[in-house]
Amino acid sequence: MSVPSTRLPTAGRAEMMRAVKRLVLDDKAAFTGVVVLYVAAAGASAALPVMLGEVIDGIGTGWTASRVDLICGIIAGCVLAQLLLMRTGRRLGYRLGERAAARLRESFIDRVLRLPLGTVERAGTGDLATRTSGDVGAVAELLRKTGPEVAVALIEVTVITVAAFVVSPLLGLLFLIGSPALVIAGRRYVRLASPVFLKERAAMSEIAETLTASAAGAQTVAAYRMQDERRGAGYGRAAVHMKRLKGIVRLQTWFFPATDLAFLTPAVVVTIVGGIWYMNGWVSVGEVVAVAMLTLRLDGPVFRSMMALSEFQMGGAAMARVEGVHLMPDEERGAASDGAEVRLDDVTFGYGDGPDVLHGLSLRPRRGERLVVVGPSGAGKSTIARLIAGIDRPRTGRVTLGGAPVADIPLEELRRKVILVTQEHYIFTATLRDNLNLAAPEADDEALFAALATVDARWAVDLPDGLDTMLGEEHHELNLAEAQQLALARVILADPDVVILDEATAGIDPGSAGNVEASLAAALHGRTVIAIAHQLQAAETADRVAVVREGRIAESGTHDELLAAEGIYAGLWWAWKGVAV
Amino acid sequence: MVVNPNPLRPAPPSPSGIPTDPWRYLWRVARTQSGRVAVGFITLSISGTAWILLPWVISKIVDEVIIAKATEDLLPWAIALVITAIGSSWIFVAGYRFLFMAESRARVETVESLTDHLNTAGTGVRGAVSPGEMVNLSTEDAHKTGSFIFQLGFGWMGLVMLVVGTVILWNTDTRLGIVAAGGVFAIGFLVGPLLGRLQHHQIAYRASVATLTGQAADVVGGLRVLRGVGGEAQFSQRYRAASADLRDAGYGVATADSWVQGLRASLPLALIAIVTWVGARLALDRSITIGELSAAFGMTALLAQHAGALIGMAQAIIAAQVSSRRLTAFFGTESDISDGGTGREARGALRDRETGLTVEPGKLTVVVSAEGKPAALALERLARYRDSQAEWGAVPLADLELDTVRERVLLLREDYLFAQTLGETLRVSPEAAMSAIRAACAEDVHSSLGSTLDGAITNGGRNLSGGQRQRLRLARALAADAETLLAVEPTSAVDAHTESLIAERVTEARRGRTTAVVTASPLWLAHADLVAWMVDGKVRATGTHAELSLDGEYRSLTSRQESR
Repeated sequence: MSVPSTRLPTAGRAEMMRAVKRLVLDDKAAFTGVVVLYVAAAGASAALPVMLGEVIDGIGTGWTASRVDLICGIIAGCVLAQLLLMRTGRRLGYRLGERAAARLRESFIDRVLRLPLGTVERAGTGDLATRTSGDVGAVAELLRKTGPEVAVALIEVTVITVAAFVVSPLLGLLFLIGSPALVIAGRRYVRLASPVFLKERAAMSEIAETLTASAAGAQTVAAYRMQDERRGAGYGRAAVHMKRLKGIVRLQTWFFPATDLAFLTPAVVVTIVGGIWYMNGWVSVGEVVAVAMLTLRLDGPVFRSMMALSEFQMGGAAMARVEGVHLMPDEERGAASDGAEVRLDDVTFGYGDGPDVLHGLSLRPRRGERLVVVGPSGAGKSTIARLIAGIDRPRTGRVTLGGAPVADIPLEELRRKVILVTQEHYIFTATLRDNLNLAAPEADDEALFAALATVDARWAVDLPDGLDTMLGEEHHELNLAEAQQLALARVILADPDVVILDEATAGIDPGSAGNVEASLAAALHGRTVIAIAHQLQAAETADRVAVVREGRIAESGTHDELLAAEGIYAGLWWAWKGVAV
Repeated sequence: MVVNPNPLRPAPPSPSGIPTDPWRYLWRVARTQSGRVAVGFITLSISGTAWILLPWVISKIVDEVIIAKATEDLLPWAIALVITAIGSSWIFVAGYRFLFMAESRARVETVESLTDHLNTAGTGVRGAVSPGEMVNLSTEDAHKTGSFIFQLGFGWMGLVMLVVGTVILWNTDTRLGIVAAGGVFAIGFLVGPLLGRLQHHQIAYRASVATLTGQAADVVGGLRVLRGVGGEAQFSQRYRAASADLRDAGYGVATADSWVQGLRASLPLALIAIVTWVGARLALDRSITIGELSAAFGMTALLAQHAGALIGMAQAIIAAQVSSRRLTAFFGTESDISDGGTGREARGALRDRETGLTVEPGKLTVVVSAEGKPAALALERLARYRDSQAEWGAVPLADLELDTVRERVLLLREDYLFAQTLGETLRVSPEAAMSAIRAACAEDVHSSLGSTLDGAITNGGRNLSGGQRQRLRLARALAADAETLLAVEPTSAVDAHTESLIAERVTEARRGRTTAVVTASPLWLAHADLVAWMVDGKVRATGTHAELSLDGEYRSLTSRQESR
């Protein structure tokens, strides 16, 4: 089905600030510790040029060698202190960032897991995939690496500036002469850089997506000899990326010299003007040299923090997307269901703004009944399944479970009662055990094997590491039939009141499909089973068959009744049996 | 993953001719950019020299203008200072540009190599590389292997500054020169072993990041399943465990990294302190001037800062080597099918030795098998997705050129749908595309995409339903109009009416061409010229549907008489 796309929201400035504040406050003690350590470390390193000034003036005024040794000894002590402070601060800071990143990604995943499926599908999985893999990683990198580095740099700049004023307030004013240029350049850069870097990132994800598709579709590329096309696609994406990178370097070409001016200007001015002031007797040589050398020490931290501006911008954009997921309104699911009786009353439904798919459909599966829903493709069978599973809400009419609207029942409660298995067979990159016990964490090995046996999954016994075998594309890959058996085994383990099987056995071998259906029926005896089928195997033994056509229940009854009625079902049945109608 | 078992012996080159040894790959990356790299290095050498002269010029002003109170000398020295300052900055940007472009080109070329290798290694890459891994290879790893050129440039600049600075200090006073140069070497010596430790942690960390990224990707892909069975809590718990593992791996990195970062900041300072000390004693003895003392301080400060660039270079090389290893491991993957054949001519029936399956030319053969796997494998062998003894007429398939087989034999399975328009997916003229769509009963795909062949399909056909994807794949296979079409369960996800229509239309469309379909559906069997009935992976009988239907076991498999 095609659903109009509605992107997931991104966080605004205020929400971002709140999120950052929350990350800091959650780890307040460590955060304070890190800042204190960094300030102390920066102070120790700024002591060097200051003491150099002292020594220079001291030599002029006739210091002794032992006095020089004492001061230099103190300098050496400062360096040692700086090392210990810096190392401890770095370690704490890194761990702090690592913890914050972990909290951020965990709460993100938790939130994604609670997103309404309809919302995710409307947003497109691509958007969500970018947020989960790229953006969460980018923010984590910002928190553990770039963030602390910039913090160190900014603290150093501040401490060096303060030191210049301590040496000589007069020269300290000259020291500030580069700042306006820096601020102007920085602001301009931030404004221009952000779209440039975002485009570059976008080009990079295009590359990743294109190459991932080429790898996933390797077989298809070979079969249809698409090598030239894929080559064109890959090279094309690479060329676009190159263009974006050129945009970056164009920007940096004016920005770097502008940044350099921030410390070169004061270095020149302090030396020359300071020199003239010395001759006027306003400052000492030692002070001029100390402040001039302090300006040279600005180079590193200024450059590092300016370079990080763009990373901050990108990290910020990524963070806005990560936080945006938290802006999705939580579904109000407060209804309490009583029992597990499923009813659809006069339901109309359509996807997005599209036309109605169901037109006043009513269906009442009885408790413990095995109801098979059949009908031609596009009749709305899968839509019925989605409504009963509470994924979508009807436009009009009611879909209830135990008297409560299904879409209003809290998810945890709903899943204990209703489970939907579709033909979408997804294998998680995890062990067979982890793939199975998603729905039943407490199930022991015996239960897992029993469930696998019920769905005729003999392959599971032959796996190299048994239940601990890793599944997934780069490990042990399951075929369609095996994946579907696994999905069915999950249902048996979860043991709900109502099971909806939407084409759940479509990919299983014809020879064993009957077996699987029969064993499944036995295992689910007493449960309400609503099976949606293109193939009619299951219909014959069902308690009841409902035929859906053009969004309505056209016929309903037992297999024999419907055959006798010679209506739509009879037509389908004979067509399926291969008998010309 | 191909891992070179013996690091001392170079691995054999990959099928694409790309080195499979990490260091050789890095060398190749650098070599292809040699022009830009050379210009960049020269420019940065000049810039580095200018930088290191900056404190020297300041020292001259201190000695010859300020302390000497010689106002008349101020102007020329001030001009020299401004020129050195502006020059160093502008020349640096020029060098930066060259190296940045070299890095960018290198990244682009790695992406191009990956693209080419995906084509060359063909079906061999499936299973060798996960989607998450491919993302890393094409972005992170391509970046890291490119940026080492860049870091090398900065390292070189640091080296030039070291040499020039040492020479100037040496000329001022030999002892100062010895202390400064010796100190920079000591820094390299002390920090070297630590970097080894860091690398160890980084590898573990990268592995954890990949695991976690994979799990996060599972959320998106498997959300429907999780929603269906209510596995969210369990999944979240597992994710948290992996996240905690990553955090702990990060802690490991933090311990080593903090020493590297701390020493990186402090060792230069220690060196400055020592030089200042030595310089101060020399100044006290009047061996050097006050200006020279400040120059020694300033130069050592700059040198020390760029000793950081040397260490940064070492780190970048380590990171590049880690990335290069992952890239070359991928470049080492080979096609899983040998391509030694040269023949182009073959006619007659396709015969699979292992199952005894024969696909007669010009006919529709339906393969009925209680178990799907052996039948599907047989078709894979006949289409040469697996090496085997299969024959085409009198010629072993393996003796035919692979490209010829691909052109003449098409195997339809769960093929991939790329992000293309509908028309591009079908790869034929609009008329042929529409007739293939009709034959596959995929009109609803067409209409759901806006009733135009320009309608866009997303990667993996995610904007289509499972049934639509299956019929679109069938339409694509029909449009390709291959001499031989082999299909595995092409209609497993459609209803009986549609299946009946598809069977009829496909039979009509493929009349006179060779077609084999694995299915037990009577709707297909009604159109079959020949039926091959497989039991336990061997063809038990071949004949028409009517002939085989005399056998009860066959009947129960195909006539859907009784549900067991």
